[in-house]
Amino acid sequence: MIYDSLIIGGGLAGLVCGIRCVSSGLRTAIISGGMNSLHFSSGSIDIAGYSPEGKIIRKPFDYLKQTIKENRGHPYAKAGMRTIRESIKFITEILEGQNIRLNHNSDYNHFHITALGTLKPTYLSQESVFSSGVKDILHSGEKIAILNFKGFRDYYPEQTAVNIKKHSLFRNREIMMGNISLPYYLETERNIHEFRSVDIARIFETERYLPRIAEEIKKASPGAVAVSLPAFIGINNYSAIRKKLCEMTGKFIYEIPVLPPSILGLRIDHALKNSFISLGGEYIAGDKAVSGFITNNSVEFLSTSNSGNVPLDSRFYVLATGSFFSGGLMAGYERISEPLLDLKIKSEKNRNRWYSDKFFDRKSHPFLGFGVETDNNLSPFTQNGKIVKNLLCAGSVLSGYNPVKEGCGGGVAISTGFKCAERIIRELKK
Amino acid sequence: MINIENISFDHCIKCTICSMYCPVSQATHLFPGPKQSGPDAERLRIKNPELVEASLKYCTNCKRCEIVCPSDVKIAEIIQAAKWKYLKIKFFRPRDFFMSRTDLVGGMATLVGGIVNFIIRLKIIKVIMHVFLNIPYQVKFPAYTKRTFRKVFDREYKIGQNAFTKQLIYFHGCYVNYNNNILGREFVQVMNALGYGIKIKKQKCCGVPLIANGYIEKARKNARYNIMSHTVSDTDLQIVATSSSCTYALMHEYSSFLKLNNSGISGRVEYATKFIYREFLSGNIPPMKPLGIRAAYHSPCHLERMGGVIHTLGVLKMIPGLELVVLNSECCGIAGTYGFKKENYKISLSVGKNLFSLIEKAEPEIVITDCETCKMQIEMNTGYKVLHPVTILFMALNT
Repeated sequence: MIYDSLIIGGGLAGLVCGIRCVSSGLRTAIISGGMNSLHFSSGSIDIAGYSPEGKIIRKPFDYLKQTIKENRGHPYAKAGMRTIRESIKFITEILEGQNIRLNHNSDYNHFHITALGTLKPTYLSQESVFSSGVKDILHSGEKIAILNFKGFRDYYPEQTAVNIKKHSLFRNREIMMGNISLPYYLETERNIHEFRSVDIARIFETERYLPRIAEEIKKASPGAVAVSLPAFIGINNYSAIRKKLCEMTGKFIYEIPVLPPSILGLRIDHALKNSFISLGGEYIAGDKAVSGFITNNSVEFLSTSNSGNVPLDSRFYVLATGSFFSGGLMAGYERISEPLLDLKIKSEKNRNRWYSDKFFDRKSHPFLGFGVETDNNLSPFTQNGKIVKNLLCAGSVLSGYNPVKEGCGGGVAISTGFKCAERIIRELKK
Repeated sequence: MINIENISFDHCIKCTICSMYCPVSQATHLFPGPKQSGPDAERLRIKNPELVEASLKYCTNCKRCEIVCPSDVKIAEIIQAAKWKYLKIKFFRPRDFFMSRTDLVGGMATLVGGIVNFIIRLKIIKVIMHVFLNIPYQVKFPAYTKRTFRKVFDREYKIGQNAFTKQLIYFHGCYVNYNNNILGREFVQVMNALGYGIKIKKQKCCGVPLIANGYIEKARKNARYNIMSHTVSDTDLQIVATSSSCTYALMHEYSSFLKLNNSGISGRVEYATKFIYREFLSGNIPPMKPLGIRAAYHSPCHLERMGGVIHTLGVLKMIPGLELVVLNSECCGIAGTYGFKKENYKISLSVGKNLFSLIEKAEPEIVITDCETCKMQIEMNTGYKVLHPVTILFMALNT
C-alpha cells in the first residue's frame, strides 16, 4: 500500500477531503486532471439557496434539518447535520490560516451580486462580498457606486446597475456608475482591451499603484460610501491590498466576479492547495485517472495516463471527479455512466427526460441530479449492486441533489468531502 | 491541409485558465498567453500562415498550460509546432547554433579540457559574448568535465557490469556526459546497489535544445539515431535516464512532435526515480544510513508534465533522515537554453523569482531537483547547492 488515501479529483470536495486526511497524518495524494471548477465559481459557498418551489431560503440550516429528515437520498442526509457544521467550520479555519476570511450572516443567508446584477443567496463569502460593513451600508441607504476599469471588456457596470435596481434592496437607492483608468504599467505593449481580470489582479498584487488607484476611485465616486469593482484586487495578497484600498479611499470596496478565470474562486483554490501541500499532501497535477480495477468488491489499484507500470495503490480511494463537465459523469446516447469504474448510476432511462426544453427552466434540468448512487456511508455500488468497500464518493459526482436548482453545490462538496475523510480516518484507526 | 491528429485546439472552451497559469505571461505582457498563441491563433494560422506573430518565441515550452487545461488541449504542442512550421529561418544564427549543438560543443570542450572553463569565465569573453552573441553577461555556463562520462564508464565501470544478472540501459544525455559525469557515476553505483548492471548504447543529444532553437530536421536526425541505436539489440532491457527533459523527449516528443515511430523505445524509457521507486515498492531497498539533511524539493515542469513528481517524492520519502520541504510548483524560468539568451534574460529571472523566494523561505541546507537546467538557474540565482535525487540516494547509500 502506498497511500492511505488517494483522492481522484482536485476540486472543492477533493481538496477538503485531502486536507482533512493529511492533517490527521494520513499519507494522502490528490490526482487532478486540469484545474477545477473553483476557477469558474463565484468564490462564495452556498449551503442551500432555494427551496424545491424556487423560493429563496433565508435560514439554510433550518432548511437542511427538514431536508435531512424528508429526503434520505440527499447527500446532506448522508453527511449529517453535525458533519455539515463541522466541515464549514473546518474550511473556514483552513482559509483563515491562508489569510482568506469567509464571513457569514449567523444563521441567515446573504446575497452576492453577479456581473449581470442579479442577487444570489449564499452562506459564506469573502470580506469584499459580505461583512458587517455591507449590512451597515444596506441599512444606511446612502449612495453607492459601480465602477469599472476603462477599456476592460469583460464587465459592463451599466448592466449590473439596471438589474440591481429591480431588487427591493436597491430600488430606492442612488446608484452611480463610473470608470477608473489603469495607471501605466511596466512596459505594457498590450492594449487594456486585451486584459483579463487576472492580468489586472497581478497589477494590484504589485501594490505599486495603489495610491493612484485609490485617487482614481475617489474621483470617480464622489459621495458614495461603497464602491464595487470587478473582482481583481489581488490574488494571494488580496486581503491586505483591499484593506489598504479601503483605508486610502475611506470607502467600502465590494467585488463582483466577472468572466473566468474567476479571481474570487481561485483565491480559494490557491489557499486550499497551499494548505494541502504545506501539510505534506502530494498534489499530482495534470494527470488523469484512466482506469481502476475492482476485485472482491474493493478497488485494487488505479492507472493514470502517466502511471505506466507503476499504478497507484492506496488503502482508501475517494472519487471526487465532478459532474459532466469535469468528466466524472458521461452521457452516452442511451445511458449515463461513470467512466472510471463504471459504478452504479442513478438517472432516468428515457433520454427525453434528461433535460428540460427550456434552458433557464425554474425547475432546472434533471440531468444535474444524476450521479453515482451510494450507501449511507458514501460508498458506491458496482453494476451488480455490490458495495465497493474502500471507495467513497464526494461532491458533484453524487446523485440525489441538484446543485443549480437548490443552490447547494459548495455545501455538498465540502460536507461530503469532509465526511469521506472522517470515515477513512476512523476506519484506519481500527 | 488540417492535421487531423492534433485538432485538440477545437476542444478549447476559452476558459483562459492556461493563460492565468502561464509563467511567461505572468512575467511579461509581451507574450499574450497560451490560449491566444495556441488554440485561438491556430485556427487563423491554418487559414493564413502569414498570421503567425513574433510573440510565439516567448513561449518557453514549459507545458504548464497543458497541465492545467481542463479540456486536455495540447496547447504547448500547438505553439511549439507553429513556432517553427511557419517561421522560416534564413540566416545562420551562431549563438542558437552552438547552444543547441550540445554534442558538438561538449565534444570539443571536453577534448581541450579545463581551458574552456577558464576562458568562458573570463570577463572579457563574457563581454564579447554579451555584445556579439547576445548571451547575457550575468549567466554562468556549467563547467565542462575533463573526461566525458562515456570514457569514465568505459575505463572504470564497464568490466564489472556483466556480473549482474539484471541489466538496464542508461541514457545519460549530454549534461552527464560533458558537464557532470559525477551524476553518471552515482547513477551507476546506485543501480549496482539495486542489483542492476548498466549498459550504454551509442547516443546523440536527445533533441530538446535543437527543437527549442528551431533545428527540427537536425532533431529528427538525432532522434532517428537514438531510436535506432536503442532498438538494434537488447530490446528487452529498460532504458533509464537521469534527465527529466530527455525522458520526456524520448517517450513523447519523438512521436507527438517529430512524428517519428518511437514505439520500439517509448514503452521502455523510464525516468530514474520511477524505476527506483518501483524497485523500492517491490522490496528491493538497499540498506541506507540516515542523512540528517534538510532539503527543499523543486519539481521541474517537464517532470510534472509526465507525472513523475510522485515517484521522485516516493523515493526521497523513503530515505531516512531527509527532512523534505516540498515547494509549491513554480517554473524556475530557465527553460533549457531560453534563459541563456539576452532577449529572454529578464523574463527568465522574473519567472523564477517566485521559486527563488520560496526556496529562501524554506531555509533548506540544499535544494533537490531532477532537471539539470533548473539546477543551473537555481544555483545562479539563490546560492544554494542543488542536487539530483539520485545523488541524494547515493549519499544515503554511502555515508
